[in-house]
Formats: sequence, C-alpha cells, structure tokens
Amino acid sequence: MLEIKSVSKSFGELHVLKDVNLNVAKGEVVCIIGPSGSGKSTLLRCMNFISPPDSGEIVFDKVSWRSYRSKFNVLANLRYEKKLPQLRAEIGMVFQHFNVFPHMTTLENVSLGLQKVRKIKKDEAKQVATKSLEQVGLSDKLQVYPDQLSGGQKQRVAIARALALNPKVMLFDEVTSALDPELVSGILDEIRRLVREGMTMIIVTHEMKFAFQVAHRIVFMDQGKIVQVGTPAEIRNTQEPRAKAFLSSILE
Amino acid sequence: MDNSVPLFDFAAVWSSRALLLEGFGIAMFCATAAIILAMIIGLFIALMRLSNSRILRAFAFVYTQLFRGVPLYVLVIWVYFGLAIVANINLPKIPAGIITLALLNSGYLSETFRSGILAVSVGQSEAGAAIGLTKRQIKRFIVLPQAFRIVLAPSGNQFVDAIKDTAILSIIGVPELMRMAQQQADLFYRPFEFYTTAGILYFIAVMGVTKLFTFIEKRMSRIGFTNSSQKLTNVGEYI
Repeated sequence: MLEIKSVSKSFGELHVLKDVNLNVAKGEVVCIIGPSGSGKSTLLRCMNFISPPDSGEIVFDKVSWRSYRSKFNVLANLRYEKKLPQLRAEIGMVFQHFNVFPHMTTLENVSLGLQKVRKIKKDEAKQVATKSLEQVGLSDKLQVYPDQLSGGQKQRVAIARALALNPKVMLFDEVTSALDPELVSGILDEIRRLVREGMTMIIVTHEMKFAFQVAHRIVFMDQGKIVQVGTPAEIRNTQEPRAKAFLSSILE
Repeated sequence: MDNSVPLFDFAAVWSSRALLLEGFGIAMFCATAAIILAMIIGLFIALMRLSNSRILRAFAFVYTQLFRGVPLYVLVIWVYFGLAIVANINLPKIPAGIITLALLNSGYLSETFRSGILAVSVGQSEAGAAIGLTKRQIKRFIVLPQAFRIVLAPSGNQFVDAIKDTAILSIIGVPELMRMAQQQADLFYRPFEFYTTAGILYFIAVMGVTKLFTFIEKRMSRIGFTNSSQKLTNVGEYI
C-alpha cells in the first residue's frame, strides 16, 4: 500500500536519510525504532511530504509521488502544490507536540478537515467529528478550547482529527514523548484500538515494550539508514551489532 | 499694571468648539479610514514578503522600506502635490491625507503582520498540511487567525500613532483638528489655549482607542487561546 523507494534527504551537510527503502502492506503495523537522530521522524515526514524528500519516490495506492520544485515554472509549482493535499488527506498523521489548533474548539479542530478537505456540509461534519471524538473518549469536551485540555486530551483531539478523515494509513511521530508519564498508556491504548480495527500504521516510538507488542514488523534505523527489518521476535534476537547494542541499552 | 487681558482664557476656545469638534471628527475619520486601508495593504505586503516568489519578496521589501523610511511630512507632499505634477492626479485633500497615512502605516503594519505570521509555530502549518489543507487554506483558517491575535496589540498601537499623525495633514490644508486649532489660534491670538485643547482632544481619542483594543483583546482571550507562549501584551504597555 505504501512503498518508500530510495528516499534520501539532507539538511545542508547533514545526510538524514540515505537511500531508504521500505514497503508497508495494507493492514500492517510497522514500528520504527532507533537512536535519536537516526532519521526516524524525517522518514515518517517524508511519507506525506511534510518534509519533502530530496530524491526517491513514495508510491501510495499505486500512485507515485516525487518532490517537485521548478525554479522557473511557477504554474507547475502551483499545480504540484494543489495536488499534494490529495495524498495527505489519505494519510493521517499525529505529532509529538499535538499541534491542535488553539483558536478552535475541540469540535472545530476535528471538523475543519471534514469541511474543507472532504467538502462535507457543516452540520454533517459536526456529526462525524462528534462521533470521532466520542471514540477517543472526549464526548464531554466538544466545546472546549485546547488550553483547557491536558496533554493526553490534546493528543486525543489530534488523533480524532486525523481519524475523522477516514485515512488509509496513519503515521504516529513519537506521539507519547511529550506526555506526562501517567498519560502515556491512555494514548497507547488508543493506538491498540486501531491495531484491532486493522488500521495500517507506521509508528515512530521510543516505547519499546509497546512497539514489540503491537508491531507486525519492526524497522531499526541508525544514521539515516534502515539497518534491519523483521518481526518483533527476529529483532529481539538480532545478531546485527548496532541493533543489538541499541536494544540491550534500552531493554535493560 | 493692566490686568484686562487674563493670562489664560479659554472662552475663545469654547466659542470655537463646533469648529474644533468638526476638526476632531475629520481627524478621527482620516485615522480610522487610513488604518483600515493600511491593515488590508499591510497584510498583502506581509504575505508577499513571505511568499516563494523572489519578485514579490523584493517588491514588498522595497515598499516597506520606502514608506517606513520617508518622513510623513515629505510623503504627504508627494501624494498631494507630487501626484498632481507627475501624473496629473489631483486628489481632494481628505482622500490625499487618508492615502498618505495608509501608505505610511501599511509599511509599519506589514512588518508587524510578518512577524505575527512567523510567530505562529511551524507545527500548526504542518498539522494543517497533514489533514490535506491547501497552502491557501492553511493560511486562511490556521495561521492568519492566530497571527491576528498576536498582532492585535501592536496594531492598536499603530492606530494611536495614526491619530496623532493626522496633525501633519494640516500642511496640505486638510481641515482636521490641528488645522482648525491653528486657524482659530491665529484668529484669537490664543495659541496656547487652542493647541492645549487640541492636545487634550488627541489624548482623549488615544485613551478611547486604547480602551477599545484592550476590550477586544479581553474578548479574544475569552474565546480560548490564552496559552502563555502567545499571551497578548496589554496595548496600554505600548504607549
């Protein structure tokens, strides 16, 4: 369903991703682990072109997407920028720092995409948004602004916002890293619910126990490259030196 | 000693009150119209400064530098006399005054708006992009509403400046408060009284505007958006 083909990206001199390849099948849950600075988040952000890759392609639902920017053809740039949202609308993403919209109520946060991207009428959008918020347990917070929510609740709003659009894939970018410890398990439970529902997901996480529990496959990244891909059992018993060192340092 | 002429005499001011109030009304009208125009122009200039196009960026940069860099005194003469000479555009006095103030203030406001837009965190735009909004929708529904709250206080400040700047329009003969005060002062030989009265009227207007913006800000913070990182400064602290 989602193929990453020889994706590379650098920030100036720093090569963050070096020729990365990965296939994610429909219904699969892939967890990406690795030390900080290994390019996990950047890889995730390349998948929906929030951080466009320098080279390589993303094939999503058999359609190929590449970065495009012409120096001279302004119209072509505009056309490309108009097309990208079509890809992004099918890929839900949840961020480390929630990024809920502070000037909108919980309900408005979730219904914005339904109205403006899916072009659903306001009343109907509110119904869908309400349903989506009910599923993450926020039915009593519909008219509340984000500054009155806890971190865990904000992250639930962000999850509901992504899910309301009925995406084909969900990307999670260290979604529990900014949460107070007691709020982490609640968010992980939300992801487990999606696992049960068969959602295709790519999860960048530092929660190793969780990753080994839910993942069908685990991707270990280091220094901008995928070092090893395998089932949780395979990765746990890995003989690859860097993966082994990383896991033993974390699982101790 | 001749005491027949008192030191201060506001009787003349009182007798000219209708003219002074008319001038006050014109000054407020000019300032308000100019600041509204300036906000619209300033927003477009700010968006140009932040666009991908090098040409638009360059234009916006020159625009901002030009109108911030030229003294209002010179600018008003350019608009009123210069346009007439160069392009044969003969503007009536009040529109010329409004346009002048709008140009000057749009230069300042464009910079205020630009920094306000940049102050909205990148994560907000990314979240908008992630749900499939177009660039334009992200600006309209996510970035600008948040930037608006950030620039509200400095914009109020700019409005206050515009009110006081209307005094300069007297040099092209706009019948605003300063011009009226000048004429009446010359008529009655009471410059101190008339200019002091004008000063008090400007002061009252500024207080009113300050109160108005504080009120709007309070309303704004009531509808969410009170997180500390973007807490608004009271407009009163700027003046």
